Amino acid sequence: MKNTKSYIAIVFSLIAGLSLVSCNSHDDTGWEFAPNMYNSRAYEPLTQINSNSINPGGLNMRKPVAGTIARRKFNTKFTQEDGSVVEDLMVYDFGKDDLALAANVKNPIPWSEQAEEEGKVLYERNCMHCHGEKGAGDGKVAAKYKGVPNYSSDALKNVSAGHIFHVITFGKGRMWPHAAQVTPIERWKIAHYVARLQIGG
Amino acid sequence: MINNISKKLLSFIIVLSSFQLSVIAQDGDAAAGETLFKNNCAQCHATDASVIVGPGMAGIEDRRDAAWIKKWVNNPAAVIASGDKYAVELYEKFNKTQMTAFPAFGEAEIKNILAYIKQANSAPAPTAAPADGAAAAQAQDTGGGQFFNIVLVVLLVIMGMVLVALLAVLNLLTKLSTADGEEYKSPMDALKANLKGLAADKTIRTAAVWLFIILATKASLDGMFKIGVHQGYAPEQPIKFSHKLHAGDMQINCAYCHTGVYKGKQSGIPSSSICMNCHNTIKKESPEIQKIYAAIEKNQPIEWVRVHNLPDLAYFNHSQHTTVGGLDCANCHGDIQKMEVVEQRSTLTMGWCIDCHRKTDVNSKGNAYYDALLTAHKSTSKETMKVEDNGGLECAKCHY
Repeated sequence: MKNTKSYIAIVFSLIAGLSLVSCNSHDDTGWEFAPNMYNSRAYEPLTQINSNSINPGGLNMRKPVAGTIARRKFNTKFTQEDGSVVEDLMVYDFGKDDLALAANVKNPIPWSEQAEEEGKVLYERNCMHCHGEKGAGDGKVAAKYKGVPNYSSDALKNVSAGHIFHVITFGKGRMWPHAAQVTPIERWKIAHYVARLQIGG
Repeated sequence: MINNISKKLLSFIIVLSSFQLSVIAQDGDAAAGETLFKNNCAQCHATDASVIVGPGMAGIEDRRDAAWIKKWVNNPAAVIASGDKYAVELYEKFNKTQMTAFPAFGEAEIKNILAYIKQANSAPAPTAAPADGAAAAQAQDTGGGQFFNIVLVVLLVIMGMVLVALLAVLNLLTKLSTADGEEYKSPMDALKANLKGLAADKTIRTAAVWLFIILATKASLDGMFKIGVHQGYAPEQPIKFSHKLHAGDMQINCAYCHTGVYKGKQSGIPSSSICMNCHNTIKKESPEIQKIYAAIEKNQPIEWVRVHNLPDLAYFNHSQHTTVGGLDCANCHGDIQKMEVVEQRSTLTMGWCIDCHRKTDVNSKGNAYYDALLTAHKSTSKETMKVEDNGGLECAKCHY
């Protein structure tokens, strides 16, 4: 009887020791000191502590009122190669089906090595996983998504910068619109780099 | 015997290759057709009967004549608009996805492509087998983890049994050795007697007390340093999104989904529209992806759990570090592309920030903003300009 008691004591202390070592839970942020300085008192969009009782979905964020126009954070005046200055607000009055119309719009950003290089960086961030490193439609995701064309194919090797701009904005065929992710000025820069890929790099 | 077999094999190969030659010797050039097909058509059409985006091309010559195919390839929209019954049915069948027009294709190109399609269909398909093999290997892979767990549990049980058996043997042996007259002592009693002896010793008692004090102090100090540090925090998310699959295997750039990371303070949590750019097609039926569909239908936010939290008392801006500083995401976030569940790898303490600001050179390459600062710095110091030289340690840079 006495023996069983001591056995129980040993087992219990072992369990206690183990639980002390293994109590590092991945679902827990651990102790905090003075959380009133950690958690914002003002409403913040991505550091939300409590559910918001005023807004739909309990979110701190609200959708902008319908018809809101985003304030432009970018340059709107571009000096062309011939010295003339083109002012382009990059707000175009064409819709999803106006591809032919958009194809006539000229790229307001004149070609320069720097513009193409910036386009390349943006292409690698936003397009490459489907369209492939050289625009052959052989990105890793394209193997799953299917139907990603080759930029240098006969159908696409001659399309204009305006066409490319429209496709990024509104999508085409199986590709969905990327206007929310890629700003107009970024789209024009990407068009410069895609032009390079159309002639095979 | 072996010679005989090899001769037979050789003749068989010759027959096979001559058969292939006869296929190539048609009116179109299959080799030229192959290049054309792979560059222009293969993204949407397979040479066999399987559907990729558009219909499979096997037997196309039996379905349509070369003139119709040319008309269609040159301008599919016009053929549909003309009310051609076959074309309209095709358009309806494939979810009204219109084929891209290839106006430059003449009769010769179409013939070459048709020759290639015919050749590809007459040749045996070798690609299916390795794909099956890979799938099987993968299935075994996922089974491997579970098997390992079972082995571990069985080993533990066996070890427990061995321990019990050993104790029983020890008990028996002590009983046997004390059989001649002495009082029987169980191993537990013997242990107790020993411990009592030790506890009576003053030196050992003092040493034990000191050891306890030292260990307790270290444990509490360690514990205090962990207050407010979330390193290792890896909460379960509402959707089992794998960064290993998306950023690792699929090589999708971080900025594709975290669109703000080069532009603003926050890198941002992607909206479900970004998920839908791919998942309108890929793995639509998966229960995890159906959660996104449900959220969109009910117009309810997906409540992702934020992993990296800086206290409100510290200001941090992503674009300053990524665009201006030129740092990689992995600098602070670790190997995200290898994580199934995202974990906070760095401590994100003030000491950690300061340490990096002391060590890191200002990224002044191609940035005229720093030119005057660099000249001023060079006139007073031989060292390169670190972030701390540019006010990277000033309190008000981050706390205001």
